[in-house]
Amino acid sequence: MRIASGGVTDLGRVRSNNEDSYKIVEPLNLYVLSDGMGGEAHGEIASAMAVETVVQHCIDLEANPAAAVIGAVQPNWSSFTKRLSTAVHLANRNIFKSAEENPDQHGMGATLTAVWINGTKLSVAHIGDSRAYLLRGGTLLQLTRDHSLVAEQVRRGILTSAEAEESDMQSVLLRALGAQAEIEVDAEEHTLFPRDVLLLCSDGLTRMVTEPEIAGTLQVESDLTRAAESLVAMANERGGPDNITVVIVRLEKESKGWFSWLRRGARKNPGSNGRVGGN
Amino acid sequence: MPKLSLMFDNKIVKEVPVGSRPVTIGRSPDNDILVDNLAVSNYHAKIYYEAGRMVIEDLASLNGTFVNDLRVERATLHDGDNIHIGKHKIKVDTSGDAPLAWDTGRKTAAPRINETMVLDTKERRQMLQQAAAMGESMQFAGARMKVPTLIVLGGKTDQKEYVLTNKLTVIGKSVMATVKLKGWFKPQMAAQINQRDDGFYLGPGDKVPTVNGNPVSGPVRLNDGDLVEVSGVRLNFIFRE
Repeated sequence: MRIASGGVTDLGRVRSNNEDSYKIVEPLNLYVLSDGMGGEAHGEIASAMAVETVVQHCIDLEANPAAAVIGAVQPNWSSFTKRLSTAVHLANRNIFKSAEENPDQHGMGATLTAVWINGTKLSVAHIGDSRAYLLRGGTLLQLTRDHSLVAEQVRRGILTSAEAEESDMQSVLLRALGAQAEIEVDAEEHTLFPRDVLLLCSDGLTRMVTEPEIAGTLQVESDLTRAAESLVAMANERGGPDNITVVIVRLEKESKGWFSWLRRGARKNPGSNGRVGGN
Repeated sequence: MPKLSLMFDNKIVKEVPVGSRPVTIGRSPDNDILVDNLAVSNYHAKIYYEAGRMVIEDLASLNGTFVNDLRVERATLHDGDNIHIGKHKIKVDTSGDAPLAWDTGRKTAAPRINETMVLDTKERRQMLQQAAAMGESMQFAGARMKVPTLIVLGGKTDQKEYVLTNKLTVIGKSVMATVKLKGWFKPQMAAQINQRDDGFYLGPGDKVPTVNGNPVSGPVRLNDGDLVEVSGVRLNFIFRE
C-alpha cells in the first residue's frame, strides 16, 4: 500500500514553549508523538528524548534484531510490535535516569503514542493521554486508552463523559514516561485496509476539538498537512490553551493493472498530499 | 487575615494566621504547626504567600502532602482547600487581605491545575480505591466470561461462526477481512465491528449494513441477539457464556 502522511505542531495561544515533539520516519513508516511535562524547559527535553529513543530503537531493528525485549509482550505479536513496545520502555528508562541524575529535571515526564506500519500490519504503542485514532469507512475510533484519572473514572462508571470534560482533574495522569523506574505500556496490533486514516494527537487537540469535527476534517480535506493545520487552527480559535500536535497518516491502494492510468486521472494528484512513503 | 485551621476529627485543634512569614508544618517542636505523629516528617511542609497567592510547598516529606487528595510538591492554595498531612487535616481560609510578599527568590508558583502531573503508584491506588469500590460491582458484571460471537445464518462466508477476538473486525471480500465474504461483486470492506470501552459497535464500510432491519449509517452498539445484514449475508450477534 502507498502511504501518505503530514504533521504539524503548534505552540497554541497561551503557552510560551512547545513541550510536544513528533517525528515522521518515512522509510520505516513510523510515526511517533510525545507530550512532555515538567517545569522550565524540562517538558521539551522529556518529549524530545522520548521520541528520539523510540525512533532510534526502531531504526536499529534491522542492524540489531536480537536486542532484548523489555516489558510484557504477547507471543503472537510481530517483531515490530515487540520492538516498538520495548522502545517505549527504553524511553521511560532514559527519562527516569536523566531526572534522577539531574535534580533540576525532577518531575519531568512525557506521554508517548507511536504507530508503525509494516505491510498491512499496524503496531501501536502508547502511554499517557495523547491519542491514536483510526478513521475507517467514515467511523472514527480511538485506538488508545487515555491513562488519565478522569478517563479511568469514566471506564469505571463513576463519571460520565460529559462530567469528565468538565472536571478540573483532566491533567492528572495515572501513567506516563519518567514517573517510575518501570512502567506498563499498552501495545496492540491491527490489520490495515486501503483508505484507512490514522491520526495521532496531543491532548491540546482533543480538549478543544470534538471527534465528529476530527472525522469531518479528515474526510473533507484530502491534503494531509492542510488537514492537520486546519485542526490546529480550530483548537487555537477556541483559545489554544495547550500545545497542539497532529500527525495524519493515510493508506492508499497501490494502482496496479492496465486501467490504473484511468484511476490516476480521476484522483486528484495523490502525490501532492504531504509526505509520501510506501511499502 | 488568611488563616490555617488544623483539624482532627472535624474539630479545630489550632488556628494559625498566615502572614508575611512562612508557616511551617512538621513533627519537630520548632514548627508553627506541630503535628506529633510518626507519619509526619520533622519539617514536612511550609505555607507562605508569593505574588499574592498562598502557596504550599512539600519539604521532601516521606509520606507526602496532599491538597484535596492530590499529592503535591508545590501548589497554589485556594479558599476552602483541604490539606492532608498524615491523619491531620488543615483547612485553608484565604479570606482577608494577603500580606505583603515574602520574597523567596524563587519563581512564581504557576497555577497547578493546567499543568499535567502524574500520580505515583501509591497515590494512584489511594485515589482509585474509592473509585474501585464504587465501580467494582459493575466491573464484575461486565467481566463475566461472555464471548462475542457472530453466527452466520445465511450467505456465503468462509466460516460458519466467528468469535470476535480482535478490537477491529472487518466483514468483506478482502483477504485481510475477519469475516470473509465469498462470491462476485462483494465489496472488499462491506462493514466493520469495533470494540469500544462499552461494547461492540457496527459501522458501515462500503455498504450500509442493517441491524434488525434498520440501516446503520454511523456506529451502533450491538446487543445480544441482534440480527446484522450486509451484502447478502445474515449474521446473528450473540454473547456466548
